[in-house]
Amino acid sequence: MSTDEWLHALAAELRRRGVEAGAVVAEAASHLRESGEPPLTVFGAPAAYADALVDSLRTPRPRSHGPVRLDVRGVTKSYGRRRVLTGVDLTVRAGEVAAIVGANGCGKSTLLRICAGLEAPDAGTVHRSGALGWCPQAGGTAEFLTPDEHFTLVGAGRGLARPAARDAGRRAAAGVDWDPAGAPQGRHLSGGTRQKLNLVLAGLGEPDLMLLDEPYQGFDHGSYLDFWAQVWDWRDAGRAVVVVTHLLAAADRVDTVLDLGGRA
Amino acid sequence: MDTDRRAQWLRGVIDLCVLGALRDGESYGYEIARRLEAAGLGPVPGGTLYPVLLRLEKTGHVTADWRAGAGGPARKYYRISPQGRQTLADAGADWRRFTAGAGALMTGVATP
Amino acid sequence: MKVLTVAEMALREIVRRRSVLLILALLPLAFYLSRRDGHLGQSIRFVCLGIGWAVSTAALFAGNAARGLEPRLRLSGYRGRDLHGGRLLALWVLGAALAVPYFLLILLDDQHPGIRYASVALILAGVVAVAPPFGLLLSAVLPRELEGTLVLLTVVGLQMLVEPESLTAKLLPFWFVREIGTYAVDLTDDGYLRRGLLHAALTLAVVLVAGTAAALTRLRIRPPARLA
Repeated sequence: MSTDEWLHALAAELRRRGVEAGAVVAEAASHLRESGEPPLTVFGAPAAYADALVDSLRTPRPRSHGPVRLDVRGVTKSYGRRRVLTGVDLTVRAGEVAAIVGANGCGKSTLLRICAGLEAPDAGTVHRSGALGWCPQAGGTAEFLTPDEHFTLVGAGRGLARPAARDAGRRAAAGVDWDPAGAPQGRHLSGGTRQKLNLVLAGLGEPDLMLLDEPYQGFDHGSYLDFWAQVWDWRDAGRAVVVVTHLLAAADRVDTVLDLGGRA
Repeated sequence: MDTDRRAQWLRGVIDLCVLGALRDGESYGYEIARRLEAAGLGPVPGGTLYPVLLRLEKTGHVTADWRAGAGGPARKYYRISPQGRQTLADAGADWRRFTAGAGALMTGVATP
Repeated sequence: MKVLTVAEMALREIVRRRSVLLILALLPLAFYLSRRDGHLGQSIRFVCLGIGWAVSTAALFAGNAARGLEPRLRLSGYRGRDLHGGRLLALWVLGAALAVPYFLLILLDDQHPGIRYASVALILAGVVAVAPPFGLLLSAVLPRELEGTLVLLTVVGLQMLVEPESLTAKLLPFWFVREIGTYAVDLTDDGYLRRGLLHAALTLAVVLVAGTAAALTRLRIRPPARLA
């Protein structure tokens, strides 16, 4: 990668993260000119360097003192003789992001379904407060409805009138770099676009507690970053967000990490 | 010196070292990196240095402005602020106490 | 009205499955034509059973297709009865849209003089009323479409084949089609009509109650224990 290519890539990565690129890129360029060293040696990969810069610009967040939105105590669940969850505790307040991590098959999705009330735990309690936004891993969209019809349908459940629901959906979609106006029925959308629809539907009507099950499957790198930017926005707006993920890329920025460990 | 260990040590103290490198006058990124290396900290990659400078600037420990150097291209010059000097003095004293204790342990001389 | 939004979207979904819809719409016609040259009563009974089978199948598919989206809708402010009710409403509209042209066909196909057309309309109304909750009941109980389709095939096949006076025939959901059909075509006494109507009403009550119970059970979510 030539120095110019590297600088270009860095500028793109910074813009992606919403950081004004000009001064930072110029400074890196001046350093490279003077040292004469290759950029990958001095700064590393553009994306990683952009992450480091963004991290240094972030002020450390004080722990949220918002109301508790989700309180899970001692949740245990088995399927037949297979114990999936054992004594799981998790508390998430308004303005916090919790990540549920762990290997495939360790019960992440099961825990999220229990949090949503779609499944009952064998033991333990789940307390929630406020409206719930739900983003399942798959199947949260209809094959034969357009994105706008999805917005209308889900919005009506939350008490939104048609135009309000459609506008809210389209606005949220723009946040993940997608324009759903005139988009075809769900069955004609690509996997990544369908997941964007899934995600937008979860946030419709501004629920207080968001439960997201690996919502970025099929996203390209850019959409993946847009997704996390969306999560931080939700957090700043005082929502409580729970993300099931097997990627720890963002783990250092979330408020709570619940590690369910290996396969149950 | 073990590079991994050096990088680990550096991580906790690089902010103070950068402030120290600016104590006697303003400087720009590449030159700061050379000062740190000359001081025996080993090569400090730009990927480590500039995020630190950015954070120090954001927290008001240094001020910065773009200027053309003597006949050279434009550079971003960093200058330590009064707040930066205060931090350097306070944390610097703490650091000396800390390393004195650590040094005493490693060499087997008990501290009072 | 949340129920109406669910009904509208369910109708849109069904109407967009063009090929399935076409097959379902033509199936009763095939039933009708297969017996048109022979026994008149048989062809009318067959077309009504065909409509019942087509609408039940549509309901079965609609119920299964909705499974993926339903948890999300439940968690987005819809009650179980909004979802089930809306879907029922959509399927009743679909059934009526299918039955009316067939009624006109029977009416205009001028080879049946003297039959009781009002009673034919009653049969069709009964079929349209019973088929959607019946299909939704199957979709709530049988998670896979193939199983549900086979059960439907068995039910309608038996309905056509078993001796109408047998207990088995009376326990099947579309027995009233034969009973009222006999009254309409063979101009028999009122007893046939009364028995048919009673059977239709009982069947409707059973499939409505059982279908709603099964759907609400499936759509149940644990009520969020409120935080103080």
